[in-house]
Amino acid sequence: MTKQVTQGHVCIDDLSITFDVRGGSMVALAPTSLELSPGSFTALIGPSGCGKSTLMNAVAGFVPATTGRITIDGAPINGPSDKVGVIFQQYALFPWFTALDNVRFGLKRLKLSKSEELDRARAAIAEVGLEEHAQKYPQELSGGMKQRVAIARTFAFGPQVMLMDEPFGALDAQTRLVMHDLLLRIWEKHKATVLFVTHDVDEALILTDDIQLMSSGPGRIIKHYPLAEPRPRKLNRDNVHLLETRDEIIALLHQSH
Amino acid sequence: MAQSPHFFWRIARQSGAVVSILFVLLIWTLFSALNIMPQAILPSPASVWSATVEMAENGTLGRDLTVSLSRATIGFSIGTSLGVLVGLLTGRMALMQVLLAPALTLLRPIPAIALVPLAIVWFGIGEGSKYFVISYTVFLTVWFNTHHGMQYVPDIYLRASRSLGVSRAREFLTVIIPAAAPYILAGIRLGVALAFLSLVAAELSGASSGIGYRLQEARQYIRTDRMFSLLIILGILGAVADVIVQRIGQRLVHWQQG
Repeated sequence: MTKQVTQGHVCIDDLSITFDVRGGSMVALAPTSLELSPGSFTALIGPSGCGKSTLMNAVAGFVPATTGRITIDGAPINGPSDKVGVIFQQYALFPWFTALDNVRFGLKRLKLSKSEELDRARAAIAEVGLEEHAQKYPQELSGGMKQRVAIARTFAFGPQVMLMDEPFGALDAQTRLVMHDLLLRIWEKHKATVLFVTHDVDEALILTDDIQLMSSGPGRIIKHYPLAEPRPRKLNRDNVHLLETRDEIIALLHQSH
Repeated sequence: MAQSPHFFWRIARQSGAVVSILFVLLIWTLFSALNIMPQAILPSPASVWSATVEMAENGTLGRDLTVSLSRATIGFSIGTSLGVLVGLLTGRMALMQVLLAPALTLLRPIPAIALVPLAIVWFGIGEGSKYFVISYTVFLTVWFNTHHGMQYVPDIYLRASRSLGVSRAREFLTVIIPAAAPYILAGIRLGVALAFLSLVAAELSGASSGIGYRLQEARQYIRTDRMFSLLIILGILGAVADVIVQRIGQRLVHWQQG
């Protein structure tokens, strides 16, 4: 780490989330505590229904806490925060805006002058390698390109915390590898705290500092795997610890199915 | 069919309405040439054409068209503006929805023609009653579509815009309205068709000019040739207006495919 990151400290304290359903309530997340240190990269992994997306939506401020609380740098989360950026699996780009205008939309909160806003949006688009596609509409772009625009849009406003909900889940394997490199490069540069929801064990092993393994019924964190291997990583015999971790996680995921 | 596209078949498929119109004209000509029905009941295409020329030459057609089109346009504009405006309010504001949506929904089944007597009492037999009947029908349909379009704005767009921290006003103008635009435009397109439907209803009583009035007058003189002419003109006007609105709509919601 070249730069000391001091912002983007996420504290999840005894958080539980219950949804009202017909004829009662459903515990989506049992009381959970988790601390994300500034600039760290954490994966939430687990079977569907384990509450990983619910936990992320709570940090995003989309879903209110039933009990417990979430703070970022000491400030409680009661709704979408300007410290937090979100990347969605379905990209959530606005089809009526060009790629560039989608990025500019995310910069409105900074209240820049028009030329500053344009410069910054162009720089963000260039950072994800889409200069030539800046004036295209999302529906003219491939899935990987759409997610690049979404990444540019979210990093451009400078969030301290990045939440990514299965961001590469809809992409093919080859595109996914390219996106991993891109994400690591951008993360190294911006140094945000990343919370990354995935169901792909290999993806979590290659990208993150910590894997939090979750289980369902009720949703909760069952195991923590810190990963100290330097990046870029490869899942081969040189990284025995990663391979062992992978076997263990896959075995645990099988059990919970 | 796809294997051996016959030349004439291919032409016919690509010609749109032309072949269909020619076909109906042919059947019509045959029927009237066979003299199965008297001319006064089923006029020939030639006599309908000469009735059209006659009305054009004595100046009534031009005057009727101007009057009717201005009624349809004014009624449509009032109805559409109010419909979109109220739809935007009831679609996104819980209070407005509770206060207005059920009542407006109950008004929808009332046909335009049933409003004519009331319109005459309220607005007299002048232009006011015509504008009222047309704009009322257009309003309800445009409102209904706008209202529902506003409610079906995908949640993911709202989450994205909130996480990007734009103001509520910007979110409304640049996220919610564009997301609902395809529904709003579908409502406006229906509104165009309804403007023509209710135009005739409005003109059937208490008018002294206009296409609807001229139809009524033709009945008194049993001029079926004029009736056919006027009905065809109404059909063409409606179709042209629909195409125009559709084209404009496609430009406005260019991101919507199919």
